[in-house]
Amino acid sequence: MASAIPTFTKIGKVIRLNKHGCTNRPFYHIVVQKTRDNFDGPVIEQVGSYDAMPNSQHEKLVAVNFERVQYWLAQGAGMSNPVAQLLGLSGFLPNHPQTLIQSWKNRREPPRERKLQPIKGIAPPLDNPKI
Amino acid sequence: MFARSSSRIFNVINISCIQSRSARAWVRKPLGSPMAKSKMFRIAPKKFIPADEKAEVKRLYDNYFHQMKSLRQYFFEQSLEQAESGEVAQMKHRLEDEEHIRLMEENRQENEKTAKLREEKLKIQAEKTRENILASLINKEEETRLYEIRIEAFLEKQKATPFIQAENIEKAIEEALANPVDFNFAIDLDGYVYRGRETAIEKIPEEERERLRSN
Repeated sequence: MASAIPTFTKIGKVIRLNKHGCTNRPFYHIVVQKTRDNFDGPVIEQVGSYDAMPNSQHEKLVAVNFERVQYWLAQGAGMSNPVAQLLGLSGFLPNHPQTLIQSWKNRREPPRERKLQPIKGIAPPLDNPKI
Repeated sequence: MFARSSSRIFNVINISCIQSRSARAWVRKPLGSPMAKSKMFRIAPKKFIPADEKAEVKRLYDNYFHQMKSLRQYFFEQSLEQAESGEVAQMKHRLEDEEHIRLMEENRQENEKTAKLREEKLKIQAEKTRENILASLINKEEETRLYEIRIEAFLEKQKATPFIQAENIEKAIEEALANPVDFNFAIDLDGYVYRGRETAIEKIPEEERERLRSN
């Protein structure tokens, strides 16, 4: 879908996350877009992806094309906060302050209680005679 | 598709109030819609951040932005360097140099050609100027000769005229006194001219009569 804004105006570029998952399965593309385009809108370039759901090894996988990110930063493109945090964690850029602030909060506050407590260890024997 | 688009803020129909059993896309409440009744008297707790923490956060953000600024500058310089040192850029440089050399050669040839032409032109011009000068010199000589001739003739004429000299001034005066000249004259209606004091036609003989004639 083409942008409704006329192309002759100079619009800033931004690197941000576009959601490409489905219900309960977040997955993001790291893309370069014009500031006023949304996730339906045209994407200039995809520079990476971010799988926000931990896999079996409890890893959130991020793939970034650092050369292109560097190119776009040199061109004067902006960055959304999540992308800045990801790049900071990856060691490409300095750590975003939000990361540090979040870590303080997590350390300070007690861990949230889960609604469903996972049962660890060996399952107890079934005592229902009907089964 | 339109659900999260900002243009939906300005719709006037409160779609969220229309009931439907089917799954419906999330739609923003229209501008100016009232606060929910259940939230009417709710006071949200104010966020409190201690002063030292606030200062620390500010310091972190300042540092981060400074670092990002210099990093951006560095990236920009890197990109410039890459543009200079790339294979394509070097090829471009070489082509430009070749073009420059070719153009300089062409310029030199053109200069030589024009120099030759100019030399010829100047030679012709010098010849012409020499001829002109010679012609003007001859002309001048002729003119001076003619002038001298005219001067001589004039002097001859002057010398020929009988001027009254200092030696014979007495004689001239006496002569003038002896021969008075009368310039007076009269004309009658018939056109006869009477010189001097004689104004009677009978006194003048027939042959000496002078008459003005009109056509």
